[in-house]
Amino acid sequence: MAMRQTPLTCSGHTRPVVDLAFSGITPYGYFLISACKDGKPMLRQGDTGDWIGTFLGHKGAVWGATLNNEATKAATAAADFTAKVWDAVTGDEVLTLAHKHIVKSVNFTQDSSCLLTGGNDKIIRIYDLNKPEAEPQEITGHTSAIKKALWCNNDTQILSAADDKTVRLWDRNSTEVVKQLSFDMSVSSMEYIPDGEVLVITYGKTIAFYNALSLDMIKTVDAPASIHSASLHPDKDFFVAGGDDFKLYKFDYGTKEELESYKGHFGPVHCVRFSPDGELYASGSEDGTLRLWQTAVGKTYGLWKCVLPEELVSENSDTIYCTPAAPEIKA
Amino acid sequence: MNTLVSVLRLPRGPDPNGRGFDPNSPRFIAMCPTTISASSETGTDSVEIGEEQRARSALRESFLRTLIAMTNKQVQFHMYERVKVEAKFGASDIDVLNFQVSELQTPIGVQKEALLRAKHRKMLLMTVYDADDPPTELPTDD
Repeated sequence: MAMRQTPLTCSGHTRPVVDLAFSGITPYGYFLISACKDGKPMLRQGDTGDWIGTFLGHKGAVWGATLNNEATKAATAAADFTAKVWDAVTGDEVLTLAHKHIVKSVNFTQDSSCLLTGGNDKIIRIYDLNKPEAEPQEITGHTSAIKKALWCNNDTQILSAADDKTVRLWDRNSTEVVKQLSFDMSVSSMEYIPDGEVLVITYGKTIAFYNALSLDMIKTVDAPASIHSASLHPDKDFFVAGGDDFKLYKFDYGTKEELESYKGHFGPVHCVRFSPDGELYASGSEDGTLRLWQTAVGKTYGLWKCVLPEELVSENSDTIYCTPAAPEIKA
Repeated sequence: MNTLVSVLRLPRGPDPNGRGFDPNSPRFIAMCPTTISASSETGTDSVEIGEEQRARSALRESFLRTLIAMTNKQVQFHMYERVKVEAKFGASDIDVLNFQVSELQTPIGVQKEALLRAKHRKMLLMTVYDADDPPTELPTDD
């Protein structure tokens, strides 16, 4: 008997969710941060979606959010012209980095010592978090607002996507462009997979995969609707995408075949990301919610429970509420 | 017939009364040493732990009594850009992020009821004085 996907809805935001990011796997599980136009980014337990806390302080829409690998620090980018660094355990604001325009993207290095920012002033900045008072290193070149800026190649290079329809690869030390990709339209999202050096780019209805070091194209896949975000599974067997038609699509990475599509959101999907263990993916939407979706539908994981047919109480019983066998880990 | 996958419960949503980051969670306790030298850091015995707890309780009580004593008193808030506003103190929220005040006197008029945001990273000076006997010169934050 085939199982139907039951997405878990995480409510709390009051405006569209525009960005989300997972941490690495920590001794306390993994975590998820969501950026929202309500200005209040939230931290959640990654495998259950349980709310942990809200980072309070921004005075405008938050466009970008990220966590470091250990989920001890968070960074957010906002329309109030600041990027902020937070203690992700206490929720306290640690640092405010003033910019001259809306900040759209933030990204930590692997060791959390530096923060990359990018936004509407078209400049990529590198902040040394051990010397926050020092002026950031600046990388100029883009001719339009920067959507995303990411560390790559062991934090020796930087990938950036901007509204000037280019994706550029920069050398961190020389701040020079190493390589550049040009498109016919603006890139809507970018994801970097360090393991295997894969870059996932979306534009129009296309999901494109590139080698992150050479910027050589690996393959492209077209979806039925305009795509805002896509994510490649850690094992590189699937990828998921979402966009204008409110649906989540799951594709086979090898064959490019569309495997499944899921309805659930009540608005366009703005962001989608696989969890670090690949067991689920999270989506953020214009409808103000985050939803968690199972990679293997029907598997027991997080809040999902595999129920054999004879365990069902009645034909109409869709949910079972019971105390979990093991104490839940709460952060 | 396709059956929906079962769930144990729904994800927990935000607490309307606070910003979260439960200080009693295992992660918080393990990663955030308390500002007062914590019993967990040293091989302290139960007597000293008890004393530390009593000291913490006393400090908490003192803080709460201070808030109670300030209720309905005239206060002056020293804010950024050398702005000073007077009001009648009402209450603080649980995280001391907002203060509820009445009769807030602002340069553009008197607000009957207002919420003032407290930026907890910088000092916020509040001068409490008896409305019938105000001091002639108030301290500044220069």
